[in-house]
Amino acid sequence: MTTIQQPRILGAGVDRVDGPLKVTGQARYPNDVNLPGMAYAAVVRSTIPSGRITRMDTTAAEKSPGVLEVITHENADHLGEAPATFIKNPQPPLQDDAIRFYGQYIAVVVADTQQNATAAAGLIEVEYERHEAILDPHDPRAERIKDPWGEDTAWGDVRTALNRAPVMIDQTYTTSENTNNPLGLFTTLASWDGDTLTLHDSNQWPNMIQQVVAAMFGLPRDAVRVLTPFVGGGFGAGLRCWSHIPLAVMAARHVGRPVKLELTRPEMFTGLGHRTSSINWIRLGATRDGRLTAIEHESLTTLPLDGDEYEPCSSVSTWSYASPNVTARDQQVRLNIPWTNFMRAPGDAQGNFALESAIDELAWEVGLDPLEIRLLNYAEVDPKTGRPWSSNALRRCLEVGAQRFGWSNRNPEIGSMRDGHELVGYGVAGVSFFWYQQPCSAKVIVRGDGSAYVRSAVTDIGTGTYTIMAQLAAGLLGLEVDQVEMQLGDSSMPVGTAAGGSGLTAALGSAVHDACGRLIQKFVDLAGTDPFSPLANVPFEDVAVSEGRLFRKGDPTRGESLARILAVHGLTELSADGNSTPNSPDQLGMTPAGARGARFVEVRVDEDLGRVRVARIVTVNDGGRILNEKLARSQILGGTVGGVGMALFEDTVTDKDTGRIANATFGDYLIPVNADIPDVHVEFVGEPDAFNPIGVKGIGEIGLVGVAPAIANGIFHATGKRIRSLPITMDEVMD
Amino acid sequence: MHEFRYERPATVAEAIRAVAHDPEADFLAGGTTEVDLMKDGVFHPDLLVDITRLPLRGVRRDGTMLQVGALTTMEELASDRTLMERAPFVVEALLRGASVQLRNMATIGGNLLQRTRCRYFRDPAVPACNKREPGSGCEAVNSVARMHAILGASPACIALHASDLAVALVALDAVVHIQSEEGERLVPLTQFYLMPGETPDRENVLRHGELITAVDIPLPPEGTRSIYLKIRDRASYEFALASAAIAVIMDGPVIKEARVAMGGVGTIPWRGFEAEEVLREAPATPDTFRSAADGTIRDPFIVPGTAFKVELAKRTLIRALTEVTS
Ligand SMILES: Cc1cc2nc3c(=O)[nH]c(=O)nc-3n(C[C@H](O)[C@H](O)[C@H](O)COP(=O)(O)OP(=O)(O)OC[C@H]3O[C@@H](n4cnc5c(N)ncnc54)[C@H](O)[C@@H]3O)c2cc1C
Ligand code: SF4
Repeated sequence: MTTIQQPRILGAGVDRVDGPLKVTGQARYPNDVNLPGMAYAAVVRSTIPSGRITRMDTTAAEKSPGVLEVITHENADHLGEAPATFIKNPQPPLQDDAIRFYGQYIAVVVADTQQNATAAAGLIEVEYERHEAILDPHDPRAERIKDPWGEDTAWGDVRTALNRAPVMIDQTYTTSENTNNPLGLFTTLASWDGDTLTLHDSNQWPNMIQQVVAAMFGLPRDAVRVLTPFVGGGFGAGLRCWSHIPLAVMAARHVGRPVKLELTRPEMFTGLGHRTSSINWIRLGATRDGRLTAIEHESLTTLPLDGDEYEPCSSVSTWSYASPNVTARDQQVRLNIPWTNFMRAPGDAQGNFALESAIDELAWEVGLDPLEIRLLNYAEVDPKTGRPWSSNALRRCLEVGAQRFGWSNRNPEIGSMRDGHELVGYGVAGVSFFWYQQPCSAKVIVRGDGSAYVRSAVTDIGTGTYTIMAQLAAGLLGLEVDQVEMQLGDSSMPVGTAAGGSGLTAALGSAVHDACGRLIQKFVDLAGTDPFSPLANVPFEDVAVSEGRLFRKGDPTRGESLARILAVHGLTELSADGNSTPNSPDQLGMTPAGARGARFVEVRVDEDLGRVRVARIVTVNDGGRILNEKLARSQILGGTVGGVGMALFEDTVTDKDTGRIANATFGDYLIPVNADIPDVHVEFVGEPDAFNPIGVKGIGEIGLVGVAPAIANGIFHATGKRIRSLPITMDEVMD
Repeated sequence: MHEFRYERPATVAEAIRAVAHDPEADFLAGGTTEVDLMKDGVFHPDLLVDITRLPLRGVRRDGTMLQVGALTTMEELASDRTLMERAPFVVEALLRGASVQLRNMATIGGNLLQRTRCRYFRDPAVPACNKREPGSGCEAVNSVARMHAILGASPACIALHASDLAVALVALDAVVHIQSEEGERLVPLTQFYLMPGETPDRENVLRHGELITAVDIPLPPEGTRSIYLKIRDRASYEFALASAAIAVIMDGPVIKEARVAMGGVGTIPWRGFEAEEVLREAPATPDTFRSAADGTIRDPFIVPGTAFKVELAKRTLIRALTEVTS
């Protein structure tokens, strides 16, 4: 009974259920919330990258109009350790005088207005003892961490295979630091009521914020409530409990009033982490006809002095293509930089750029069509374990994409496709995205009128969770989408996981699936206790749902509405809790595959000026079962724009002596504008995935991956220039 | 909070008086530079004199000249019919600048006086910036300087003058009307801007309290062809890495007369007098264009980040010349 049987509702491009709220301004984002008596906070950041604060003079700030409180390390509350939640969180701020990076919070000022707080923050005088900063990943003094997650992987004998390989590619690929930059400025509004605390907070995981804040302030978890019904984007930025959050909480406690702390755009660059730069060393061995015999992929990424980060760039090389010999190793290096953090497709985005560039180089080396070489080396089974995939439509992505794009019109000769001053190039890249899922729970309730609501603590970061979960619950309960109300983004609801790692749809969807199944079971059991019910004695397996009714399969007349069952039993509502935990690959005997994809781009390169324009993009993806074609398409489109940004524009530049981020504004940090984005054709292929009951694979991140190498590969086709570092700017393309 | 007063006088004389008698007063036009820099903590005026209601708005034809009121917005000037017909490259320069929202606010006077985009100038947390704090040094010279100048630059300052409009206007020998309590003076735009030298804080000949009231744009003869070519990383909404403003009068395959200016490369909008010499009475050939480019980009002052601009600027000029003469 719990199979998905509502194609009319599931998969359809249902409009966002939260759309009307958002376009009419009724959706309250954390920075929209105001409370009576609220005060405002402004942070002060360090202006050196390494050292110690020797003196702070706050007198002028304290006397400044409207100022209620100035907190520095000298009068800050002593806070408890921040627990790790999947990954480490920053330890509490203002606990000592040490400076670890430029932009670290060193004080917070609270005042009656934002303007007064900001003005006073500028009056604090700071003196430092400067220590030499380590800012260059190649600095021999920097601490290097080998095999940071114990995930270095090897099979076969790569050394020998490379030595014997008739063809070898041995290259280094680098990517720059990128900054997530969700448009919504991250805000924490903290308000205490005795020993309980409520936070309106921008994040991607309310239960994580709850847990970390509770630990730091020595509170039971239940004493902290985190509300995040809406957040103005995340792209990974909201996956940790950043230091401004405890600052707001501490400030609210000091002044005994609710305190709102909204970060500024420049503060968003230092306060929420950023995508690490990466260096990837890749060696490919292959036969003369282009069959891979060895892949060696090593990466180096960066870490702040006191944090950790999971960016296994090399791991893509362990599952993307079939190779009998593989080693994948990662290293990290600690620097005096702001935190590195997840950003849409962490690790994969960088590693895929390296691998897909190298595969392309191999294609040229052996004289194969870049599309053919990817098909030739397609991994029919998980190359590491030999197990079947839970689903894998990479081949189909490549084939369909090539057809839609018109790949066969490509003249393979470099520089042969010209249009005036422009050299035209076609580029392709394949994408095999990681798989990720965490435990999650939800509650589903049917009310007396037969409508339902679903509750979970998870938040919808704009991807469409509200909508697809309403569709899913409607499909499973036999209701219309508008009969299902969604209640998300409240840590007091059933414990939910992160809106991250492209893992929420499978996690929450499986929990909703579980809850709906249990709820129908309860209805069937209830009906079974009523001898007059048309469903009396009908076993659970034989019951179907549709139009708000339970009925016997094959005999729709023999049934009863949910509302009637509740009424008969004198109930106002009936609920069930649902949980999901990821299945075990061992038990299922298969390897869970993340989403798969193919990118085809046409680039146009000005032959004199080196200016690159993307003229066309075809992006085909296998996301398993697509719950909502329209929202899925939006995810891929947004990812594609991010991919163009990563390829051509985005570059968080750090001044080499001071460690200051030099371009921490939207005037200086370039992201694509409309004019940079061409026609993008989005298409989905593939079958429901076998690893979770609803058959989905997350697609929140994959859209970004593969765009950069496809562009770089297209530039090579157009110009014969192989650019191995991102972003690709005209000075590198120009001869 | 840094408090400031705000006044909105009704007459030019009052506006000038208000600023002239208060060393910490600034004029406020569209505010797209002034307010930005106040928010960034770079400007701290204690009086803002809003000039947007002064009768200095509109475009007037005066024989072979357009007189543009200083408070005409960029969008208004860009939609002027005469300018579109006679000097379309000025319109192109306007429309390739900023975004439509900004151009609806930004005025022509303000555009000529916009401040550099140098990141180190715009962040008061950076100690060294001779333009912001005379004598403090120049952070950009040793740092990331992709958007900086290669012509007219010195170790004291390599900040770019980023206006697109000014590039087209220096090519046309536009003239600025400057009003002070003493009266009016006229300064050709080619003599309006000052190279940084040892005093990067002084960017132009304007004295405190002087108001730009209008800009005269001489209209090139009918039949003049012109182009504004702007090269940048993004396709829109970005300042130039290199730009070329060119007007030419052709006589068959020969260039009779040429006006050349470049943006994205100079500490001031860069007039290419040498290029004009080369082009005058010369055949429109690649060789001619190359020597015009070599003549313009002479003795550049480069730092690692700007080295690529030498060749980029030359090729931009060559491309623009090729397109406008063919
Ligand atoms: C995001 C962004 C992108 C931009 N992109 C571009 C671009 O691509 N190309 C480009 O050319 N420009 C660009 N600009 C700059 C923009 O064109 C200028 O900021 C604008 O033209 C300034 O005009 P305003 O009226 O807003 O001047 P204001 O900000 O009001 O004034 C600027 C300065 O001039 C003074 N002032 C103004 N009017 C007068 C006057 N009549 N007499 C004396 N002093 C005066 C003011 O005191 C102030 O110091 C951009 C600006 C922004 C914010
Ligand atoms: S280039 Fe000029 S404006 Fe920029 S930091 Fe140096 S002195 Fe200041």
